Amino acid sequence: MKYCKTCHVHYDTTLDHCMLCNGDLEHENDDVVTYKFSEYKKKNASRFFHRLFIFLNIVSILVSIYIDFLDGFPLTWSLVVSITNIYAVVMFILLAIPTIWTSKMTKSIIVTVGMLILIGLAIRNHSWALDYVFPFALMLNILLITILIIFNKKKWFDYFSSLSIVTIVGLVPGLLNLFGATQVTWPSVACFSYALVTLLGIIFLPSKASRDEFKRRFHI
Amino acid sequence: MKKQKYWYKLDNAGKIFPAVSQDERSNVFRLSFYLDEMVDSTLLEEAVNKVLPRFETFAVQLKNGLFWNYFASNTKHFEVEVEPAQVCKYFKAHDNKGYLFKVYYLDNKITLETFHAISDGAGAMHFLKSVVYNYYRLRGIKFDHENKILSELPYSKKESEDNFVSNYDKAKKKNLKEEKAYHFSGERFSNHWVLMMKLRIPTKDLIQLVKTKYQSTVTQFVTALLAYSIYSETVDFIGGKKPLKVFIPVNLRPYFDSVTLRNFSLYIKATFDAKRTDWTFENMLELTKLQFSDQLDKEKLQSRISSLVGFEKNPLIRILPLVLKTIAFKIGYNILGESISSCSISNLGIIDLPTGLEKKVIDADFVNAGYGIAMTLISLKNHTNIIMSSPLKDLSIMNYFIQFLVSEGLDITLDTNYKEGYDEIL
Repeated sequence: MKYCKTCHVHYDTTLDHCMLCNGDLEHENDDVVTYKFSEYKKKNASRFFHRLFIFLNIVSILVSIYIDFLDGFPLTWSLVVSITNIYAVVMFILLAIPTIWTSKMTKSIIVTVGMLILIGLAIRNHSWALDYVFPFALMLNILLITILIIFNKKKWFDYFSSLSIVTIVGLVPGLLNLFGATQVTWPSVACFSYALVTLLGIIFLPSKASRDEFKRRFHI
Repeated sequence: MKKQKYWYKLDNAGKIFPAVSQDERSNVFRLSFYLDEMVDSTLLEEAVNKVLPRFETFAVQLKNGLFWNYFASNTKHFEVEVEPAQVCKYFKAHDNKGYLFKVYYLDNKITLETFHAISDGAGAMHFLKSVVYNYYRLRGIKFDHENKILSELPYSKKESEDNFVSNYDKAKKKNLKEEKAYHFSGERFSNHWVLMMKLRIPTKDLIQLVKTKYQSTVTQFVTALLAYSIYSETVDFIGGKKPLKVFIPVNLRPYFDSVTLRNFSLYIKATFDAKRTDWTFENMLELTKLQFSDQLDKEKLQSRISSLVGFEKNPLIRILPLVLKTIAFKIGYNILGESISSCSISNLGIIDLPTGLEKKVIDADFVNAGYGIAMTLISLKNHTNIIMSSPLKDLSIMNYFIQFLVSEGLDITLDTNYKEGYDEIL
């Protein structure tokens, strides 16, 4: 044990100086004092590269829009660059957040489809993105999660959230077609039908486990 | 037989924590036991996994619903880790097999760090006592549990009850409007490191001082002393507009006959006017006593419980999707959450261990890292530990607090997680 004569405080740690007055500590007795915590090691600023990545993407957006703007309106190629930069940042954040990989996959597919639609709009030709990429990507996602659930029944409730979200989003292509936003009908209708059947399947599955999962997920 | 699959709605106190917790605001608290021998990590891990199924409220993982988060059962194997340098460190449940608590070991110390969404200090202490008791059993040392170790007693459904909801009375709601409180300013330690300063004081001397000289309880005494230390050592409090507010969590179990292991505590507060310039320790203590006796009233506590639960029962709040609720909680907490309190004091009381275990546990820590200075008290055997933790580098308030205790004739032994040389790296 150590002692501070000025502050009249005993010390049960390895310090040589008093924390309160900075005076020298005196050895009081032969009791062994130990540091009872893990020692702090200086860390490198791990987030520096994260911030640098986001910063470089923002610079890329501003520079490309400025150069494109020099040729006057409307903006053309810079929009594609900007969308890609934003996509890179969103995907980076999305993948950095720790969660189950099916959730990451679903979010990645939805963000990627969103990015492709925006690129389609930027190049004034969004038909390919909305008519084909959007519905097929969603159908693929629903199919993948359904297969996962079938082959990994024990963990089906972990995939429930992703499947619910993607089936609800899967109804959107059909609605877009209904309101004339898409030109090719069959992919949108196929996606809508597949999503609807899956959604009804989730709702009306007779097992008690699925009903309980519904109760948990939708408790209000 | 106890069921294997279960789920819970988050309790009222726990609902906000998943949304607002981050590196600088972990909402994690620490309980540690120092044993009379080096800890065997393999046996410790075995003890935790043995005890976990008995503690439904700890064997959970946080899940997202459409409207609210909820806890689902978690049966994964729990892994203990070496204690990190950072006290009450924020952790992601995903990296901890979904569990919302950590069990660390370091030399002769076993530490439980619990995310506040699952339990409060009283609930977590039951879990830690059970882990340590079973650790010794696995070591081959057996002693009578004397009905003080929960894992050795039959499970009761009441342990998992949300007592905020069960004590909700719609007719007793009252307005909970809070004015903003004085906040400390100053340089912080880097990388969210929190300084911990532990004052070990003989319990008998402390009680004699507060009872005979000041006719108060220990919690009232330290509340007034912390407030007086802040008043004496800060330059921007007096003359300011914001009052000093010390928040003190109250264990509601004795008031409402509860045995729940989930959160069941509520803050009372001691408020001191910044406009008054003639504060003395004695008049601060008198005011603290008055405020304690006024707020520690079952009727008043129940009306506050009802107001808090009433908020979550509001139909507009309930139908808001979780994504939007999370954003609202974050914004609300940033605007109001920390601004209504200046500092906090939490007294866990005397740790009641079976005689055999008491001989093996030589010391205990209770740490609550929060904004400004977070003070905690825990008593074991014949000594009381007053632990002050702070992310701020300025020690003047703590210094004043300690010098006051020394001037009152108390024998103080100080321990800390600070080391010479930390100034250069933190």
